[in-house]
Amino acid sequence: MAKYLLRRLNLFLATSAVLMLVLFLATRMFPVDLGVALTGVEQPTQEQQQQTIKAYALDGSGFSQYVAFLQQRLGGNMGISMTSQQSVAGELVDVLPASFELIIVTSLMALALGIPIGVLAALSNSKATQNVIMALTLTGYSIPVFWLGLSLSLWFGVKLGWLPISGQLNLLYEIPRVTGFVLIDTLIADTPYSMSAFKDAVLHIILPATTLAVFPFTVVVRITRAAMANVMTQTYVRAAEARGLSTAMIVLRHALPNALIPVLKSMGLMLGAFTSYAIVVEVIFSWPGVGAWLVQGIYQRDYTVIQSGIMVVALLIIFMSILIDVLHTATNPLSRKELYATN
Amino acid sequence: MPRISIYQEDHIPSPSRRLWEAFSANPFALAGFWAVIFLLIIALFGPLIAPYSPEMQDPKAMLLPPSWDPAGTVEHFLGTDDLGRDIFSRLLYGAQLTFGMALLIVATALGLGFVIGALSGMTRGLKSSVLSHLLDALLSIPSLLMAILVVAVTGPGLENIFWAVGLALTPQFVRAIHQAIHEELQKEYVTAARLDGANSLQIFWYVIMPNVWDTVIIQTTLAISAAILDIAALGFLGLGAQAPSPEWGAMVSQGVDNLLIAPWLVTLPGLAILFTVLAINLVGDGLRSALTPIRN
Amino acid sequence: MRLPTPRWRHAITALCLTALATGCTPEQVPAGLVYCSEGNPESFNPQLSTSGTTLDATSNQIYSRLVDYAADKGAIVPALATNWHISEDGLVYNFTLRQGVQFHNSERFTPSRTFNADDVIFSFQRIVDDKHPFHAISKTGYPFFDSIGFASQITSIDKISDYEVAFTLHDPDASFLSNLSSAFAVVLSKEYGDQLLLAGRPELIDQYPIGTGPFSMTEYVKNDHIRYHRHPEFWGKSPQLEMLVFDITPKSGTRLVKLITGDCSVSALPKAGELPVIELHETLQVQSDPAMNVAYWSFNTQKPPFDNVDVRQALAMAIDKQNILRAVYRDTGVEARGILPPSSWAYNDSLKAQEYDPKQAMKLLEQAGIKNLELDIWAMPVGRSYNPNSLKTAELIQSDLANIGVKVNIVSYGWSVFTQKLNQSDYDTVLIGWNADNSDPDNFFTPLLSCGSIASGTNRSRWCNTEFEEIISQARQNTSKLERATLYQEAEGIMKSQMPLVSLAHAQKQTLKRDNVMQLPVSPFGGIAFADLTIKIAETAN
Repeated sequence: MAKYLLRRLNLFLATSAVLMLVLFLATRMFPVDLGVALTGVEQPTQEQQQQTIKAYALDGSGFSQYVAFLQQRLGGNMGISMTSQQSVAGELVDVLPASFELIIVTSLMALALGIPIGVLAALSNSKATQNVIMALTLTGYSIPVFWLGLSLSLWFGVKLGWLPISGQLNLLYEIPRVTGFVLIDTLIADTPYSMSAFKDAVLHIILPATTLAVFPFTVVVRITRAAMANVMTQTYVRAAEARGLSTAMIVLRHALPNALIPVLKSMGLMLGAFTSYAIVVEVIFSWPGVGAWLVQGIYQRDYTVIQSGIMVVALLIIFMSILIDVLHTATNPLSRKELYATN
Repeated sequence: MPRISIYQEDHIPSPSRRLWEAFSANPFALAGFWAVIFLLIIALFGPLIAPYSPEMQDPKAMLLPPSWDPAGTVEHFLGTDDLGRDIFSRLLYGAQLTFGMALLIVATALGLGFVIGALSGMTRGLKSSVLSHLLDALLSIPSLLMAILVVAVTGPGLENIFWAVGLALTPQFVRAIHQAIHEELQKEYVTAARLDGANSLQIFWYVIMPNVWDTVIIQTTLAISAAILDIAALGFLGLGAQAPSPEWGAMVSQGVDNLLIAPWLVTLPGLAILFTVLAINLVGDGLRSALTPIRN
Repeated sequence: MRLPTPRWRHAITALCLTALATGCTPEQVPAGLVYCSEGNPESFNPQLSTSGTTLDATSNQIYSRLVDYAADKGAIVPALATNWHISEDGLVYNFTLRQGVQFHNSERFTPSRTFNADDVIFSFQRIVDDKHPFHAISKTGYPFFDSIGFASQITSIDKISDYEVAFTLHDPDASFLSNLSSAFAVVLSKEYGDQLLLAGRPELIDQYPIGTGPFSMTEYVKNDHIRYHRHPEFWGKSPQLEMLVFDITPKSGTRLVKLITGDCSVSALPKAGELPVIELHETLQVQSDPAMNVAYWSFNTQKPPFDNVDVRQALAMAIDKQNILRAVYRDTGVEARGILPPSSWAYNDSLKAQEYDPKQAMKLLEQAGIKNLELDIWAMPVGRSYNPNSLKTAELIQSDLANIGVKVNIVSYGWSVFTQKLNQSDYDTVLIGWNADNSDPDNFFTPLLSCGSIASGTNRSRWCNTEFEEIISQARQNTSKLERATLYQEAEGIMKSQMPLVSLAHAQKQTLKRDNVMQLPVSPFGGIAFADLTIKIAETAN
């Protein structure tokens, strides 16, 4: 297992290095001065220019420039935002929690609803139920997320007036920032309106999370269904049936744990698409996360923001997919056996 | 004299024939198939069918609702937008941009991905490992981020989206083909063929490829639907097709401002995207389940 | 077959329903108001900017001026200066300052003294004196002051006592007090400036503002919101609002939706097409205020082929203004014939409207030997009071010009980038406009079309005409309204024959609000001063 973990770590480092190389090259291609693209300082003084040249080894070879770039970026120096003149790293720390909050709530929703429905679909013998579930999931899978978001906000926000459709919290609530997760911060805030602020935060997250959950939900349903259908034909399930266990028992104890393994794997594969969707959802619902920040960055041609945003999001995806891979291996003895036969 | 068949002989259809039979037995898949044909026709001949030019403004008919609404007219079947442009015509032209563009991108990415994937799939060791890391890195950049990066370098526009989405899709093809070939290479029939004295090229073309086609087909349908959604999402965010363009995502984005007074400006292009992606996914799903029995 | 699913689902639906039921009526919301504004301010110091967005977010809330303009009285009234005296020759302005005025208190700065003459001198020397340590901090210069030639107009600013300041001018200037009452002429804190200078971060003075206005800025999250708190020791009437939040929402459709859902109570700059929606909602109201503005289409006259008068005339003729008025303004604007709005006292009623004549336009282009003309129109990405929808205007012009065989590309960026790029003067033509800063007609001529304002960036046509220049400078020094009006009419005549810009429309300023918000204090020159706003408390929450 140690050797396996080492290999994964190696994979993480190599992949990240390549990613950074892509960004390093892209930075050179931005239609602004290289120094500006690296630091975000638009009219640098002589002194600042010297500093930039030194920090990024701009007088050195391509390789040493790359190494200097790595050192700066991974050391947390991402320059300043060209539009706000604030440190990009600081802005990132401000926007990341909102994105995590949305993604965690969405994932919980997708799993909590998707797995049971997937199981139901697999166990149901009725052709009609199966078809309905298939049709629904296929539609969910095909819906353009921006359109879904707009339609939901039109109905639930404007026509029915039930749910707020923008931001994380009514701006009149002034909640001190502790964890950055509004759902938690509102609860621990020491104000008389802490509870109503929390409710407000819950209301605010419903629509964006629902919109974003549709895609992972359909994937989870489909994968769970296929995996369950597969598992239910296995001999150990039939053996359990023969022992007279109830269906619920069989599903919960024997079938589901095994069926969840491919679900885990599919989550890793879905990360990229999911991130794209999350960016769009953040824009539609003005969710103050890294996606909306990044898109604003591109509207404003804020090259330092674009670079760092892409870097952080992509690094997170690499990390998460490798983490999921490790979890997958840890929970699945079968895959441990066939580890790296070749390649 | 006719030949009399004495033995009851099973007629064994060709694999593609079997595939079609399995595919057409599924009514959903068949519906999707016809829908795709329909869309192809629109993408090719839409401009001929369209009653108006997509950019023609009719100042006398602004924000006209679709014709089934009491306030709508037949001249503008699906209504008009806030500049008096005919939505029906714009949707028809837009098919070329959204759907046609997606096909073009996927074809390019497939060609490129196939060559790289095949070459890397047949190699082993360090080269293959380096490539696989490279692909992992590229795959870890979601298509939208890739597009943002491309837009940052080149500026927004439909042409740049071609590169953005293409760059995001190619690694997926490379990887799928690379892995499929790798898996096949380890199977015993390949060893058998090798023992028969087949060279690498022969093994690749006659032994492995017939077993990799289904991966290619499935990956292609997946890629087309992903490409459409990406093009539309980028158009919506204002990073792809720009303002007057009738690209469907851009149309939604132009309609957002009038969402409350003219919801059809958002609904109709949205439905067009949904319909297209759904059709392709139905076909993809049908193909996948039709291929499964063959694979087993 | 019994499955655990239904129970889970029940639990989840129940949870959602309770959340809905209880959440729809939040019990306690802090007393305050959310205003949906249209964009990020470029800076928190209005001296550095001319955009209405920045003025709204800064000048009227955070700062005070020496004197104010009272629109209802049509006169200059005291603010930080309680009294003033103008010397006989019109060259020395002597201001007596208000005593006991407190500056804001923030995390970064605790004032140790009240407002005095040093602060006034600091604030204006920063603009006038190019050796002042704070002068060069501004990368954008001081556009309003540059455009009126403020620095060259001032000979000296002197402290007479702690509460008395004298401004000495080169020439008599009829518009000097008007200029001091404009939203740009704010007073900063010298003590804060010194402290920042000592800390080596002078640029922070424009990012974390300290003023003497009714609200202090406490939080700014770019692209998201600006938060203000009531200044407890404000020198004027204490505002009713304890808290004021600007919810930065660039899309006008989204602002409207937020107003409907109650996320904000006042919303800026609706598009004309959205007004019918307001009528469907009983709780929403539109407030229309007269405004002194003009929307126009500027040609970069220093860039060929727009340096050719015939080309400019041809393009002006080719656009159908009536169509733009219908589609973009609906009934909220009037056609602009010259550059002065009808509410100005120098307005020329007899000026003829530009004729719409695409055939003649084609002929003119042909005579000028221009073929296959292709041009960029830069369109503002956000609505402004003078043009609620520039992009749409650009699309209309695009199709008009297509009729005479001219191809148009529409260019747009986010607002702050847009203004930045505009300053690099690399455009062909731009759709923009002007909101008067004060009631003086000169405010339409000198900033927009004088040679001196090319450098300051308000003359977007980059047009300089000696004859025109002579006339407006005569008008500036004249004190007779009647004579000035004649001079301005002459100037408008030259402008029309040279066509450095095509004026499009004068718009009313529209603001949306919920019905619990009483009459909004909107000035025809600046924006909204939230200090004077009242709301019915019982209905704040929704």
